[in-house]
Amino acid sequence: MTEAALAFHRRIDAALADAGLRQALALTTGRLLGGRTAAFGALPGADASRDDARRARASAVARLDAYLDQFAQAAEARGAAIHWAETAADARRIITGIARERGIRLAVKSKSMATEEVDLNEALEHAGVRVVETDLGEFVVQLGGDRPSHIITPIIHRSRQDVAALFREKLGAAPEDVADIPAMTALARRVLRAEFLQAGMGISGVNVAVAETGSVCIVTNEGNGRLATSLPRVHVALLGLERIVPTAADLAAVLTVLARSATGQASSVYTNVITGPRRHGPAGPPNAGEPDGPDELHIVILDNGRSRLLGTPLAEILYCVRCGACLNACPVYRLIGGHAYGGVYPGPVGSVVMPGLHGVESWSELAHASSLCGACRDVCPVKIDLPRLLLAVRREAAAKQLAPLWIRAAMPIFAAVATRPRLYRWAGRAAARVARFLAREGWIRRLPGPLGAWTASRDFPVPAPRSFVDAHQARQEVSR
Amino acid sequence: MTSPRERILASLRDGLLRGRLPGHGGDLAGRATETPAAPTLAEMAEQFSAALTGLSGHVHRASGTAAVAEIIEGLAREHRAGAFIGWDDEYLGCAGLAAALAFRGLARVTYDVSDQPERRGADVQALAGIGLGLTGAHAALADIGGLVLVSGPGRGRLASVLPPVHVAVVDERRLRPSLAALLREEPRLLDAGSNVVIVAGPSRTADIEMTLTHGVHGPKHVHVILTA
Repeated sequence: MTEAALAFHRRIDAALADAGLRQALALTTGRLLGGRTAAFGALPGADASRDDARRARASAVARLDAYLDQFAQAAEARGAAIHWAETAADARRIITGIARERGIRLAVKSKSMATEEVDLNEALEHAGVRVVETDLGEFVVQLGGDRPSHIITPIIHRSRQDVAALFREKLGAAPEDVADIPAMTALARRVLRAEFLQAGMGISGVNVAVAETGSVCIVTNEGNGRLATSLPRVHVALLGLERIVPTAADLAAVLTVLARSATGQASSVYTNVITGPRRHGPAGPPNAGEPDGPDELHIVILDNGRSRLLGTPLAEILYCVRCGACLNACPVYRLIGGHAYGGVYPGPVGSVVMPGLHGVESWSELAHASSLCGACRDVCPVKIDLPRLLLAVRREAAAKQLAPLWIRAAMPIFAAVATRPRLYRWAGRAAARVARFLAREGWIRRLPGPLGAWTASRDFPVPAPRSFVDAHQARQEVSR
Repeated sequence: MTSPRERILASLRDGLLRGRLPGHGGDLAGRATETPAAPTLAEMAEQFSAALTGLSGHVHRASGTAAVAEIIEGLAREHRAGAFIGWDDEYLGCAGLAAALAFRGLARVTYDVSDQPERRGADVQALAGIGLGLTGAHAALADIGGLVLVSGPGRGRLASVLPPVHVAVVDERRLRPSLAALLREEPRLLDAGSNVVIVAGPSRTADIEMTLTHGVHGPKHVHVILTA
């Protein structure tokens, strides 16, 4: 096993040993998935709506260069500044540069996985900018020096008691401020409202960008996405370059399935579409232009491996709208949670995105944490064939000879045996005899040699005394 | 020297030549159908009310400026709001409302947030304590109980997000079946202001133990007054 795979196994062991986490995962994923099922059940033509959304995403990705260019030009025509970041380091440099040039000391952030991906907060803090996460869950993550464990509900690994303790420790909260969840929510509102009113910069991700109009759409339930993009003088939006749709109608198609998949809502509370900075009227009387909104809008277009991914068999993952439904549906995620995956994007989507963006060398082991049951594909709002992509990751890893030599040598031998029935039956009987010799109390706790890797994390069952084929033949003879 | 823009676009073109992209051609048969018969105003009003009420929002029906002003006055008293920030009269779904509210002692606070960094903080701070926001709506979406708010002169963003109470006065003729239907009617709507926002009910979160809580950052109370 590779170092990365061993580390993954250790994280899985730790997650499985955490009873509180398993309970929280069962509750959260169960509710989100139940909500999703109900929401699609209530939607007439639900399956056709998924096709519509898939078509909107697929048609954009199929001509991504053209639509991205169209988007950038339309946004610029409306006064937005477009920046192109080839790498995570570029994105950090561009955004810290915008802050530094304007002497900004405080930035408020709306929830964004892309900013997690490029480690933006650390870079800004280094540049002397205090960054405040304003999504309630992300605020708790930040206070605790933690990482989100789900792309939609980031603190499913935290109990209300955890949050109360954190608020008392970090915010000096009084007992009545942490008495229950509404009180803690009200406290967060007060603390964060003060930050919103002072911040010089608001930072957001982008759920969907519309090429035709140069608009970015940011979806939130709390309203922090609106405050962060309306109150500060400068708004910076970090856009993963694949998150484009051609037209407003395509945006509507994606929105029809996005919230239903993510949280079971027919619509998120705030679907916030931004096209350029605040529009000023002709100079002269007051109130001739828009009375509020940011005076500068910067859109940072992030590649960071995406354009390379487009040229691989994993390209279909670029249709993803980051709803998190595949996490909730995945029997592996439901047991181990997001942190065990070790990357920014967990679950089935993460097991494709992480190796897709950063190379199979470091992340291919994630794709093995799947039984390929297909639950992820069944709930995907844009019908991404995730099992096919997980297999493609495994295949690519194999092609790069990342598997140990003995496996690479053994697989052709297994293939030769398994495709010759007579030889297969003989080998099966021989293997069963050896296996029974190794067994103690009905289980093989430890296989010899390199096979020991298999029994390092689970026991091997003892083969039946008689193989299925032998038993079947015997029955046939009796009935004859 | 090529620019990052050129390099990224070239890399995308290169990827498109080599990649495998299923699903954008004819392999998808489905296409969602809208309700074939256009629903009546009454049907849409009914659907809108049910959807918004389900989201813990409130819907009132009223006709005439006096009736609308009375509802708003009652809400202001209930939530102890002595003043409001709001849209210009012509964008509310009811003529002469600002004067009627002023007559009832509800003052409208007007503002124009400065583009100067040093003055901006004070400008937004001055709005922080105001208890009620009053807007109209470009459209009301029956299927999701949503309001479509388009920013512009006299139509600020903050009225619908900063105060704890948001009241929207909407002429019922602005009801539409869905966002898709509205965008078919007005394909360039997204570009009509720097901000087009769809608001479906009060601000909410379920981040802590999946427990639904209202009013985390945006308004806790959303009231829509549909006018005939």
